[in-house]
Amino acid sequence: MLNFIVRRIIFAIITLLAVSAVVFAIFSLLPFDPAALTCGQRCTDQIIEGNRIKLGFDKPIYIQYWLFLTGIFLGRSYGEGAAAFTCPAPSFGYSFNENECVTSLLTEALPVTVNLALGALIIWLVAGVSLGVIAARFRGRWADTTSSVFVLLGTSLPTFVTGLALLIWVTIKWKLVPLSVIGYTPFLENPVKFLQFFILPWITLAIAYAALYTRFTRAAVLEILGEDYIRTARAKGVKERAVLLKHTMRAVFAPIITLAGLDFAGLIGGAIITETIFNLPGLGRLTLRSVTEFDLSIVLATTLLAASVVIIMNLIIDMLYAVLDPRVRV
Amino acid sequence: MSNISALRRAVVVTAAGALALSTVMVAGATSASAAVTPRAGGILTFLEHTPRLDHYDPSRIYTGRDLAFMNSFMTRTLVAYNPVPGAAGANLVPDLATNTGVPSNSAKTWKFTLRPGSTFEDGVKVTCESVQYGVSRVFATDVITDGPGYLQAWLDIPKDAEGNSVFKGPYKKDAAGLAAFKKAVSCSKDNRTITFQLNKSVADFNYLATYGVISPVQASKDTGDKYDLRPQSTGPYKIEENSKTQMKLVRNTKWSKASDPVRTPYPDEVVILFGYDEEVIDQIILGDTIPTAVSFGEPLSTNNDKFFSEASMKNRRMNNPDPYARYFAFNVKAMPCLEIRQAMYYSRNAKALLDYAGGPTYAGSYATGVISPLLAIDYTPTKVVGPGSADFIPEGNIPKAKALMEVAKTKCPADYKKATETGIKIDVRQSVALNDTIPIDTAAYARAGIKVTFNPISSGYYPTVMNPEKQSDLSASGWGADWANASTVIPELFASYGGFNISQNLGDPAQKAFEDKVNIAMKTTDRAAQSKMWKALDAEAMKAFWVLPTIFGKAQFVWGSQVAGVFFWVPQGNPAFGKMWINN
Amino acid sequence: MSQILTVNDLHVAFPTDDGLVRAVDGVSLTLSQGETIAIVGESGSGKTVTGLSVMGLHKKGATQISGSVLLKDGDRTVDIVTASDEEIRQLRGRAVAMIFQDPMSSLHPYYRIGNQLAEGYLVHNPGQKKQAHARAIEMLDLVGIAEPAQRADEYPHQFSGGMRQRVMIAMALMNSPRVLIADEPTTALDVTVQAQILILLKSIQKEFNMGILLITHDLGVVAQVADKVSVMYAGRVIEQGAADDVFYTPKAPYTLGLLKSVPRISTHGSARLKAIPGQPPSMINLPTGCAFAPRCEYTSDALGDICATDRPALLGTDSMHLSRCHVAEPTRDRLFVKELKEVRS
Repeated sequence: MLNFIVRRIIFAIITLLAVSAVVFAIFSLLPFDPAALTCGQRCTDQIIEGNRIKLGFDKPIYIQYWLFLTGIFLGRSYGEGAAAFTCPAPSFGYSFNENECVTSLLTEALPVTVNLALGALIIWLVAGVSLGVIAARFRGRWADTTSSVFVLLGTSLPTFVTGLALLIWVTIKWKLVPLSVIGYTPFLENPVKFLQFFILPWITLAIAYAALYTRFTRAAVLEILGEDYIRTARAKGVKERAVLLKHTMRAVFAPIITLAGLDFAGLIGGAIITETIFNLPGLGRLTLRSVTEFDLSIVLATTLLAASVVIIMNLIIDMLYAVLDPRVRV
Repeated sequence: MSNISALRRAVVVTAAGALALSTVMVAGATSASAAVTPRAGGILTFLEHTPRLDHYDPSRIYTGRDLAFMNSFMTRTLVAYNPVPGAAGANLVPDLATNTGVPSNSAKTWKFTLRPGSTFEDGVKVTCESVQYGVSRVFATDVITDGPGYLQAWLDIPKDAEGNSVFKGPYKKDAAGLAAFKKAVSCSKDNRTITFQLNKSVADFNYLATYGVISPVQASKDTGDKYDLRPQSTGPYKIEENSKTQMKLVRNTKWSKASDPVRTPYPDEVVILFGYDEEVIDQIILGDTIPTAVSFGEPLSTNNDKFFSEASMKNRRMNNPDPYARYFAFNVKAMPCLEIRQAMYYSRNAKALLDYAGGPTYAGSYATGVISPLLAIDYTPTKVVGPGSADFIPEGNIPKAKALMEVAKTKCPADYKKATETGIKIDVRQSVALNDTIPIDTAAYARAGIKVTFNPISSGYYPTVMNPEKQSDLSASGWGADWANASTVIPELFASYGGFNISQNLGDPAQKAFEDKVNIAMKTTDRAAQSKMWKALDAEAMKAFWVLPTIFGKAQFVWGSQVAGVFFWVPQGNPAFGKMWINN
Repeated sequence: MSQILTVNDLHVAFPTDDGLVRAVDGVSLTLSQGETIAIVGESGSGKTVTGLSVMGLHKKGATQISGSVLLKDGDRTVDIVTASDEEIRQLRGRAVAMIFQDPMSSLHPYYRIGNQLAEGYLVHNPGQKKQAHARAIEMLDLVGIAEPAQRADEYPHQFSGGMRQRVMIAMALMNSPRVLIADEPTTALDVTVQAQILILLKSIQKEFNMGILLITHDLGVVAQVADKVSVMYAGRVIEQGAADDVFYTPKAPYTLGLLKSVPRISTHGSARLKAIPGQPPSMINLPTGCAFAPRCEYTSDALGDICATDRPALLGTDSMHLSRCHVAEPTRDRLFVKELKEVRS
């Protein structure tokens, strides 16, 4: 097992390096002059060339990549004279649009998105999986029909509609949840504010995903219920409840966890719509903003971050899978 | 686009214009609370849908609303507009200076004397040197990007062979350059009087002194690019927090009323909450969820009827003609074919978009050029575009557009191919209104066989489109005069040195002759003769189709029930933010 | 020998969108302790459904069941057809156990073998964890699994097919049931392993004095282990009797067909294989007459077209050997002798 983990971690690091190199190469191939992008409107060739040297864009691409990599470990300095400053390690560059080091932008945005994704994940897993189990258990009965209506609504309503509706009705019209005037507050600082801040975004995301998980769980449970080993369990005299919750769910969990891990990773990469509607200063909004503003240093960093999360999630899923499914154990 | 938050530079209307303005300001509210004495206290909250303002650094702000906001609370300038309702609001009053500027040497030399007692938020005295340093920063064009460009054009500093100033700002060690700068912007021995030496006569130079580009900055506190996030205050409020969710201003305890004749701070705190969905902002105001809130932008045009028919909104709304001409700037470098630019103008469905934006009641009128009617003496319909021109049809003149495209097909086949196959890309500010306006536009242009795509930009709109590297083929834009002279419109938009020339028209064959005429107009001191030239140049610019003019705008503002003292600040084209107070 | 299972006129039908599927249509049989009854038939003939009915494993709402399945549980007798779900559950695995065709898929892939076995004991003896595990290891040992204590900690995928079927048998034995239903227990296994499993079944039957209801399509298996045979076709028993009788003097044309289709190596060195022509009928639209009539080569030996119009009853001159056929029994005997000679030559 340890051997397996070590191998997977080494593999993950190599993958990350490869991803960063590819992303870096793609960005350097974009038809934009990175030096001109850092320049304002009254741009002269003189300024562009000055910035090019200042920011190292005059160097060959592999040196730039090397500088980017070393910056991660050693930090990087920008500017000159009174306007000089350093982005300490780990540095992913500096954003001239946001006037901040990319790393500090990421460290501000990441907890917001992680909290958003994690909370939503818990809600949709609990809600989606239980609804799916109930629907499968009472297949064809009213509970199943009701859940299929929910699935239809959840999957067909775009998050910006549910999100906006929740925000306008629950917060503004009914005043059930106070409008989060203060923005993001860490859980440990003020749990009540934290919950007030996240509850509607969680629900918005959870509705969309729970619907998918209900459908997925229902199908998976029905499939597993048809398995021979479930018949074996019944033949042993196992209670129907245990057949469903123990024997069936044990087999359903592995694929659900895989799915949840990947969905979670995807959300870290960008719950753009939900973050935008609820004004969450997370990674999705940061990425969206930087894309429209050609803020390549941020786009590069968020792309890398999203890729890392996917790679790390895959690693975690694989390890979890090994725990869950004895057949893949090494 | 109805809801583009146009680049709002202040406009100064002439007496006649102001008068006209005050008569149309019926809908505007100089609210009932005017009778009540303003009280201090409370938190004044602005709701904004973008994630941050484009700039906070006084040297870099060029957006009218942001300028009005920062100057109301944070940034003191040498002179200021008088924050009072009506035409008097356009008058200059001394701010940091003891007067509104003293010209001499045929207005080539301008002197301002600082009043004593003004300080930065850390208690350090505002001196001539700090103003001088602040001015010097705008020459560091590699760091201090955006912002007005008048100082670089007007200050009497030698230029190098490429036409750039020899002074490169305070961040580069260059004694010769600095010496040249200090000759043009000098301080008296007592460090109280600042003198500007200009390379030509500028009779209204003191209007530029209302801008943050001429404001004090402490050299020791200058952090270059990073200063943009946390500029030092000289006004009654200072930044306590500037994050991705809010900017929070608290009282600046070092500020004293005695030193500041312009500002009367009321709220304890002023907060801008960023990133709220526009629909959500409108619902908050409609439902009065936050009674102390002000919508920092305009309401969605689809909500205007609600705001202006709702009885409970009676004292919480205003609707004014604003000083901005809205247009799309063609990136002429990317769209060199005149016929295609014309065809876009004629195939656009101006009526459908105006109606969507609320028609004449809320949106304004079809533009005839880039000089707004509020700029009274410089305005006349160009008869080239818009009402009064032969070919203008509000719904679009499709036969004409098609004929132009036919010409383009043979004359500029590459551009024709781009227009009909690849598609023309249009920069627009992100807004939910785009869901409705993009289909209108797409369908309209398609009538002439023109394909368009859109590039919605969520924040940093102008810094993005003003960078030639980032600009698409067309960019939604808007412009109002900096003061009551089209000299702050026509050259700014179309001359090579124009601070807001985003048309990339320098390669256009018509530009050279145009700029020569602009230079003559700039030198003309006879105001009547000059205004005639501006009118002619407005028409000439329209003929060149460097821009696609859309409307002369109107602006709506809405706020919560506990916000009092709201009035339209004519020269800023925005409410006088600094005069708002909380009435609870 | 005391009777431990009596099935009386069992009918099982499944309503579907296309109509009612009459999977079992009037089956009766009696199983005594130590006895093996084989239910033989093609797939879809209703033999597995009969077995599941004895286990009470049909979903109540989705199934129409009538008749009775009387199961001895100690001193009392329970009718599975009318008993409550909970009553049946308490019988399952304790009074009656079942092993299935595919040992590969019949064990839960995620649980250790020992735990899966122990669960069967714990369900009926709550709280007795220790005993359950001891019993599991004991049963694994009994079915011939070497190092049972170690193997109990392993997962199903670590076992071979034959070993898994042994595990299944061990699982069935956890509560020493009096009735064991073995549904095609050797079908999925290698031929050599098949024999081992059959021998194992025989030996545990002796040890536990169980009645075994062996469901199979394999007449070879039947010949090795069954005391009695019921041949099923289209949901009905078409012939039943002592195993030897059915084998040596089959009475139903279908049974004869089955015997003829068994591949066997002839003494002449050539393999003869004669499949029954045609397909089994649709269980939704059964023919009005004899269900086998469309495939039967003896319909002309019956009276008129009675095979197409009337259902034959289960009759026989010997009350221990019954069959359903409109052709007179002596006629059949005469006709079949010739055929059998050919098969057995």
